[in-house]
Amino acid sequence: MIVQFLTYLRERPTMLKWLFMAILAFCVVFDFFADRHHAHFWGDHLIGFWAVFALVGCLAMIVFCKGLSHVWLERDTDHYDK
Amino acid sequence: MTSSIFMHPAVLFIFGAMLLPLFKKFNAQKIWLVVVPLLAFIQIRYLPDSFGCVEWLGFKLQFGRVDQLTYVFLHVFTLMALIGSIFGLHVKESGQHASAWLYVAGSLGTTLAGDYLVVFIFWELMAFASVFLVWYRKRKRSVDAGYRYLLVHTFGGLVLLGGIFLRYQHTGDLTFNPLSPDSATWAEYLIMIGFMLNAAVPPIHAWLPDAYPEATVTGAVFMCAFTTKTAVYVLARGFAGFEALAILGAIMTLYGVGYAVIENDARRILAYHIVSQVGYMVCGVGIGTEMAINGACAHAYAHILYKALLFMGVGSVLEMTGRSKLSELGGLYKYMPFTMIFTVIGGIAISGFPLTSGFISKSMIIAGAGADHRLVIMAMLSLAAVGTFLSVGIKLPYFVFFGPKDSGLQPKEAHWNMQLGMFMGAFMCIFLGVYPEFLYNMLPYAAAAAEYHPYTSYHLAETFHLLGFTALGFYIMVKYLKPHDVSNLDVDWFYRRGAGWFMWTARNPVSASNEWISNVYKNVGMRFTMAVARAFSWFDWEGIDWALDGSARGVVKGGEQVRQFQTGKLQHYIGAAVAALFIVLIVVVFI
Repeated sequence: MIVQFLTYLRERPTMLKWLFMAILAFCVVFDFFADRHHAHFWGDHLIGFWAVFALVGCLAMIVFCKGLSHVWLERDTDHYDK
Repeated sequence: MTSSIFMHPAVLFIFGAMLLPLFKKFNAQKIWLVVVPLLAFIQIRYLPDSFGCVEWLGFKLQFGRVDQLTYVFLHVFTLMALIGSIFGLHVKESGQHASAWLYVAGSLGTTLAGDYLVVFIFWELMAFASVFLVWYRKRKRSVDAGYRYLLVHTFGGLVLLGGIFLRYQHTGDLTFNPLSPDSATWAEYLIMIGFMLNAAVPPIHAWLPDAYPEATVTGAVFMCAFTTKTAVYVLARGFAGFEALAILGAIMTLYGVGYAVIENDARRILAYHIVSQVGYMVCGVGIGTEMAINGACAHAYAHILYKALLFMGVGSVLEMTGRSKLSELGGLYKYMPFTMIFTVIGGIAISGFPLTSGFISKSMIIAGAGADHRLVIMAMLSLAAVGTFLSVGIKLPYFVFFGPKDSGLQPKEAHWNMQLGMFMGAFMCIFLGVYPEFLYNMLPYAAAAAEYHPYTSYHLAETFHLLGFTALGFYIMVKYLKPHDVSNLDVDWFYRRGAGWFMWTARNPVSASNEWISNVYKNVGMRFTMAVARAFSWFDWEGIDWALDGSARGVVKGGEQVRQFQTGKLQHYIGAAVAALFIVLIVVVFI
């Protein structure tokens, strides 16, 4: 049953995409109503601060780590056996 | 008082391990595998505050010391031993279970130890028992990785022992109590380095992603739980509030997760991710406030369960398909749906989704950093949380169970006991998320923990943002993240290549010069020695014997004459013996 449901979803990528966007929109809207009494620093007062932090951080991390891997760290899996 | 040592839970596991082959002979290994950890899990509730105090060679050893900090670790260690043993029920080799249990015993012994000598004994038991979990994979790569693991841990153990000796020399005191950063000397820092090696703090972390992916399927499940978390316990016990730990811990979180983003082997991703997660705990210990220490303990508890769950998930895939590389997997959700669900639960728990254990534990450390006004550390920890969801929360389950391509594999679902183990792990992940007080009540500073409420609207909003927009980042970059069959260099390069160079040097220049020196000795030294010996011999013979009446020559001459009688043929000797016997008989009878 789970398998059929997941296959059903996988065959409808556009629907999934809109669902995902709707969740993101909900996240942003939710932030307007959050109680900010226990803010630790200035960023906690900005609406959507952590959204930007996450997106920029995620993209930067992928580009940096993957880039470092490509230009320097990447080896065959049997590198040390040679 | 000595007899009270038998109530030590480590004793239960050691005896359990010794009796395993017997139970296997009577076909009851599976029952025994559940009974012993279950007994231990119940037993830890009834331990007195102090037990097993022994006088030995003038040292006062304390094998049992129980307080709130000990208890929370004992609780999760015994629970994990139960889950791990159930997950491994199908494994027939008693040896593998026995080494896992001795390893658990080492971990429990270290946790309960009241002085450094007992810590050291069980510390070494842990290293030597766990290496067999790598060797039991029986592939050449595993055997090699096992030796490297053992060598690194032996080195760490020696550093620890050196620190213990120095400390004893300075203070004459071996009790294992909290140390103050102000009075710390070389001795204390050596002990800390010994502990940090087991906590996999960079740059002495490379043994972990080297050995864990080469361990057996069940072995990795045990290993991911005990070594690093025991190290977190000893750091929390002895070194809370050391600034170096706060900084190194924050670096660890990013270092580990960075490698988790780029690695291809699922178990290597998880191994690197241990470095990242233990970084949170080390950082919490380093910050050292009540909230941060609570957070470190809560995170250790939650982490053991969901990391083991993830290792069980990818271990099941490895067991059923023989593969663990993301580039060779994909589309397995159709064939292993339960494994998929459990792994995804592990993935969302480690990422800190609301209603899972990660949400209520990780946030405690980040809030601890925030409350202590350490903004840089807080930002680093939050960034690591982003990387966690990216690498282990999405990338790993996506490429194993769904993925852009179908691997064409059609494995069976994992064995029932593996699914039961995973179910128990997944249940605990969600149970702790829904009912955090269960965990908070066990924490060392229960009063501070009771004041912390994870489910505030702001914390929820922050988490929604972090997770949702990380997922968006993944969605944008998914093509770029496609796994390739490579692995990445790490600092183990220094000793793996270094060992190669050492062996080359030993084989070539050192060996050649050794040969040259022995040739010189043979040609020059040997002749000189012989000539000197001849000269002394001549002097002895001609000079000294002449001076003393020539008795030596007489003895030599007599010996030469006696030698003539000895023909060296056995029949002559027997004949002579019989003749002598005959003569003796004649003499006795007739005279």
